[in-house]
Amino acid sequence: MSRTQSSLGQLISNYGTILAFLVAIIFFSIATDTFFRLGNLQNIIIQSTALGLCAFGLTLVLIAGEIDFSYGGIIGLVGALLASMLQQGYSPLSATLVCLLVGGASGLLNALLVVGFNLSSFLASVAVFFLCMGAERVYSHGVTVWIQNRTMLSLVQGHIGPVPTPIVLLLGLLFVCWFLQTQTRAGQHVRAIGENIQAAREAGIRTSLVKSLVFVLAGLLFAFAGCLETLRNGGAIMYAGKQLLLFVLAASFLGTATFKAGKANFPGTLVGAFFLITLMNGFTLLGMKFYLIPLAQGLILIASVAISSIRRGEIEQVKF
Amino acid sequence: MSTPNSGQQNDIAIYTRGVSKYFPGVQALKELDFEVRRGEVHALVGENGAGKSTLMKIIVREYLEDEGDVFIDNQNAKGMGIRDVQQLGLSLIHQELNLVPMLTVAHNICLGQEPLTRFRTIDWKRMRDKAKEFLDQISPEINLADRVQDLSIPHQQLVAIARSLTTKPRFLILDEPTARLDQKATENLFSFLANVKNKGLTVIYISHQLEEIYQICDRITVLRDGKKIITAPVNELPQGDLIRRMVGMEITQQVPKEHVPIGEVILSVRDLSPEKKGENINFELKSGEILGIVGSIGAGKSEVAHAIFGSDPKKSGTILISGRELNTRNPAEAVNAGLALIPEERKAQGLVGNESVRKNMTIASLEKRFCAARLWIKQTKEKEAVRESITTLKIATRGTEQEVQFLSGGTQQKVVLGKWLMSDSDIYLFDEPTKGIDVGGKHEIYRLIMELARQGAGIVFISNELPEVLSLCDRILVMYQGRIAKELSATTTNREEILFYVMGGKENEQDTKQSWPTDQ
Repeated sequence: MSRTQSSLGQLISNYGTILAFLVAIIFFSIATDTFFRLGNLQNIIIQSTALGLCAFGLTLVLIAGEIDFSYGGIIGLVGALLASMLQQGYSPLSATLVCLLVGGASGLLNALLVVGFNLSSFLASVAVFFLCMGAERVYSHGVTVWIQNRTMLSLVQGHIGPVPTPIVLLLGLLFVCWFLQTQTRAGQHVRAIGENIQAAREAGIRTSLVKSLVFVLAGLLFAFAGCLETLRNGGAIMYAGKQLLLFVLAASFLGTATFKAGKANFPGTLVGAFFLITLMNGFTLLGMKFYLIPLAQGLILIASVAISSIRRGEIEQVKF
Repeated sequence: MSTPNSGQQNDIAIYTRGVSKYFPGVQALKELDFEVRRGEVHALVGENGAGKSTLMKIIVREYLEDEGDVFIDNQNAKGMGIRDVQQLGLSLIHQELNLVPMLTVAHNICLGQEPLTRFRTIDWKRMRDKAKEFLDQISPEINLADRVQDLSIPHQQLVAIARSLTTKPRFLILDEPTARLDQKATENLFSFLANVKNKGLTVIYISHQLEEIYQICDRITVLRDGKKIITAPVNELPQGDLIRRMVGMEITQQVPKEHVPIGEVILSVRDLSPEKKGENINFELKSGEILGIVGSIGAGKSEVAHAIFGSDPKKSGTILISGRELNTRNPAEAVNAGLALIPEERKAQGLVGNESVRKNMTIASLEKRFCAARLWIKQTKEKEAVRESITTLKIATRGTEQEVQFLSGGTQQKVVLGKWLMSDSDIYLFDEPTKGIDVGGKHEIYRLIMELARQGAGIVFISNELPEVLSLCDRILVMYQGRIAKELSATTTNREEILFYVMGGKENEQDTKQSWPTDQ
């Protein structure tokens, strides 16, 4: 089917989002003289870090054919924990470990509800989202706690050699996620489960176990993203996760319109995250009213996904 | 073709002794003794409902027998589960293709057993080599690097078969494998079967196609009504004999055909080639006429109905309704032109499960009959009409508001019928309307269909049950591999003759045809 299309058409359908992204970069570079500067570009990547990491977690779940909204609550809960533990004098390492533990536990709860009790992942993860949000409120009493610990802050403000640390973290984790998913047996089984769970089961794959692991790993990624987001903000702000909720979702689904024929994939997700932040950054530099930016973002997203999916006649279908 | 000699008599791979299986209201298998010798290709034939699938499911332990014993490799299978018989080397290739569409052919073949490198990553090269080893046995021309979603259906089926070889089976059960295969892929399969037979693999082969049975099988077992009729070497069982034994002389409850005046041509199908399956379909349907379409699974019957109705696209062809061309990909226009399709998958295609009987029944005729000023629904009138339908169709429901998902299969089918009766169509396409319905329900449906014909509608009746086709229809079209193989008049033909063409018999093979008994 798609083989009969012209090569140009195929190029557009496979890389539509990337083309739109490039057009946006060129446009902003010409329209403003502040956009295409090293400092600003670095800024875009740093702003995309927490978003990107969190979206990696969601992408993993999407590949397994499920969905997970719990990051909306985990990010805020983890942030509140991190900030107050550091304030109470715990070491950065132990505070981070506790955060990851909480993330993993939330993932385990998701897994229990979805795999054990056969709830739809949509419902289960929204419930966990609310639980975490509630826990955050109870724990922090709604007080913003700032972070002063220099070691911890260097995770987002420091450099490794000449390169800002967040960029190293983001690209490093992209490589790890991509490698584990595409090059290992378990990673490929995640894809098989998402595509045809019956076939996976018949091939002797332990589908419940793999799916549970997926939720736990996603929980860990959400927690790590939550730590970075908190550090970038300089402290724990109430309900920080809600800010990211739609951005993460949009980045992962934009990723499905990039690279891999309508399927969730890690490099695509990263492009999606960059694209979203670039639009916000560019429009801000253009001096657009802040309340108009979502409008412009929405229109551009529709256009960029449309050019790739209309030709292909399919977009990612997630079974909830 | 090797003829088994007496020296192999002791070498039985699989056998059953006195196996019976009961389902609610019906005994599916009756004290069945069945045996397959090591290294043979054993054909299992019988009409729909003869018990073939039940027997196979018992052998692979998907079902358990109620009486009798099953022996695999001389071990009693009592207490064995699906996994246990797989471990004994038994592999069933069923009709659903369980493949992962976006993974490559190589990966699908090795799924779950991917070779690993020293670093625990997937060893892609060794995976390709391993997959090639199995794929080469059956279809070397398939590209291992292609994604399964880009393959044709026949090639997907061959990949599924290659995949089942990775467990190194010693007993292979193929359930109508060629229903999805084209000519070329069928040849691949056959040369593969000829090959593995020499290596001692035992094959049970369920098929509805005479030609291939005689081409590749050593022995045949005929089942009818859950009983074994005969097991014989193929060369001792000529085609006519085989078919006679499949049909038997059973007396079926027949519905008296009501003869109604047949009128003008209301539907002409010219050179129709549905996109899914089928080529150069030509037929006409007159008002008051009931036209049967029969054929085995995969012959393309449903595809023709859906292509006429516009619910599936067509490659080419013209459809004329009362002389006017219907050119649509949109079932809504077909409905307006007076067509109605009662699909086979009534749950998926014909009913909204969690809605009421009333809403399901009036959904196709709301605009025409029950809408005031095309805006709101005249509920009283709607309910009245539904109540009337419930009475005339004898629908067993608590009332108009009962959710259809809680009704029995037969009752659901009547709701679908009711829906189309309300639409006042001129042409009805029934796709297996009596499938899975009890005898009483079937008779209700026959009565309704005849009533529609009496009122002057033209009816296309797709079915696999020959007795009902024979008693209900005026003319019968037999489809074989996507084409109309034969047109028969219901008054002059009989079950043997229909089955002969259903199974791909050729007209010039007259020796068998002359021996049809005519006292049906």
